[in-house]
Amino acid sequence: MRYMGTRTVLCVDTGKGVEEMAGAIQDEDGLEPVTATSIAEAAEQLDSQSVDCVVTEYDLADGTGLDIVEHLRSDDPQTPVVLFTDVSPAEIDTASFEEMIVEYLNKGLPDAYDRLGFIVDDVITHSAQVGFLVPDNEGSRLDALEQYDVDELPIEESFSRLTDLIADRFDVAVAFIGLIEKDVENFLACTGSDWDSLTREDTICTHSMLQEDVMVVEDINEDSRFANNDTLQNLGIVSYAGANMTNKDDEVIGQVCVIDHERRSYSADERHSLQQFASTAMEILELRQSLRNARNTEVEA
Amino acid sequence: MSLAGSQSFSVDSLAMNDIPGNTSILLTSDDTAALEAVFYRLVAAPDDEQSVVLATEADGRSTKRSLTEAVRGADGRTSILTCEGPDRGDDVQSVDDLSDLTRLGMDFSGLFAEAQQDPAPLRAGILLCSTIMGEVDDTRSVYRFLNSNFLSQLRRSKALGVCAIDTSADIGSNVDSTIAGLETSFSARIDIESTGRNQATLDVSGLSNNDGTIDVSW
Repeated sequence: MRYMGTRTVLCVDTGKGVEEMAGAIQDEDGLEPVTATSIAEAAEQLDSQSVDCVVTEYDLADGTGLDIVEHLRSDDPQTPVVLFTDVSPAEIDTASFEEMIVEYLNKGLPDAYDRLGFIVDDVITHSAQVGFLVPDNEGSRLDALEQYDVDELPIEESFSRLTDLIADRFDVAVAFIGLIEKDVENFLACTGSDWDSLTREDTICTHSMLQEDVMVVEDINEDSRFANNDTLQNLGIVSYAGANMTNKDDEVIGQVCVIDHERRSYSADERHSLQQFASTAMEILELRQSLRNARNTEVEA
Repeated sequence: MSLAGSQSFSVDSLAMNDIPGNTSILLTSDDTAALEAVFYRLVAAPDDEQSVVLATEADGRSTKRSLTEAVRGADGRTSILTCEGPDRGDDVQSVDDLSDLTRLGMDFSGLFAEAQQDPAPLRAGILLCSTIMGEVDDTRSVYRFLNSNFLSQLRRSKALGVCAIDTSADIGSNVDSTIAGLETSFSARIDIESTGRNQATLDVSGLSNNDGTIDVSW
């Protein structure tokens, strides 16, 4: 299991309910409850600290549990939420929240409180409410990514030169090299912009990494996976092409991509070139890491 | 706490066996009739099992009929969430708006939670996920729905799950690219190619000793 530390769970309910909810969370190993008894209090908690999951009653004095979800989703869309209530789904007003996915657990079920801690642990451990597809080999993929001491490697200049070459080769607005972590994509080099990182579900790369071949999106406005993605729209992204950085064990750890502010297509030769650039980026990373490992071994000897 | 023991599933009509719990199957075809025929064979519960089905394009009555045609009596062992027709008793619930994934997700979670009160092995299915994709503006919501509801419930219940995609449907994005992505989140894939009237060949992968091609008719 990758997630070994204590996980903070915000429990929101009124009166005695919040104590019972927090008690059920406390009973599960590795979960630590913090409590709020209103939407306003919950919002304060969410603004002041990082939480790994929210469990909330639906009926609250100053609104509903879905208001809390809305508050959370604006800043932290990947944090899971469990709606723990005896209000049935049919009685819940979803009219304003039609695409807001939550875990629903009926408080009235005989084993509801026993089940709550298990479900919260499960949704956190498995990132169960992320808005992207998680590959079946995600655990080994992240383990592979951890093998690279990216912050310690002198790769920035090499990668920047490489993205300069890529942008020039394809005559595009932006070229970048990004590593895809559990929750974010970190950009190691970016020609044409100054992107640092993006939430993973906002990136096209999290889709591209699942394809064997270079993935091309000629116009994101024609693809429902991306057309309503405000982050991509605000960055002015219209077209995209991405190639996998794949290590020797066949794990995809990152992407080499080109972006343009206008619609465009890529020929078979261009796709092949982009894949070659991605393979070159992977080789640079492997070589730098091998050198570092060798030096560390020498020092230890 | 574990919500289900280890179990394996068989599909006699497709000569499949020893399918372990927490197996998720992506079922694809451009032939809707073939897709339905195979879907119900996979999801219909034999004696001593139970099913949860989300039917996007059929009412409760026709869903029950399809289930019992696949496995006699399976309709009585199934909870159905449908997007067509009225509620029909305790085992058929309906939702008005397929694009309301908040409500759909809660209803589907509720059916799973109730099924988990019974220790009988569980099969679950969505027919058709491509319809949901076509209705929803932002595909990220569908992925969140699959992650949060369907795949999570399969994992927790150690259930056998089937998610059916009509590849001829307009899902608002490149269908090949979307399926290539979906395939990585599911543990198995069955692609159906129609070979004639009520006949098809299944290309099965990810189901160990069941992998290969299977000819079926109905």
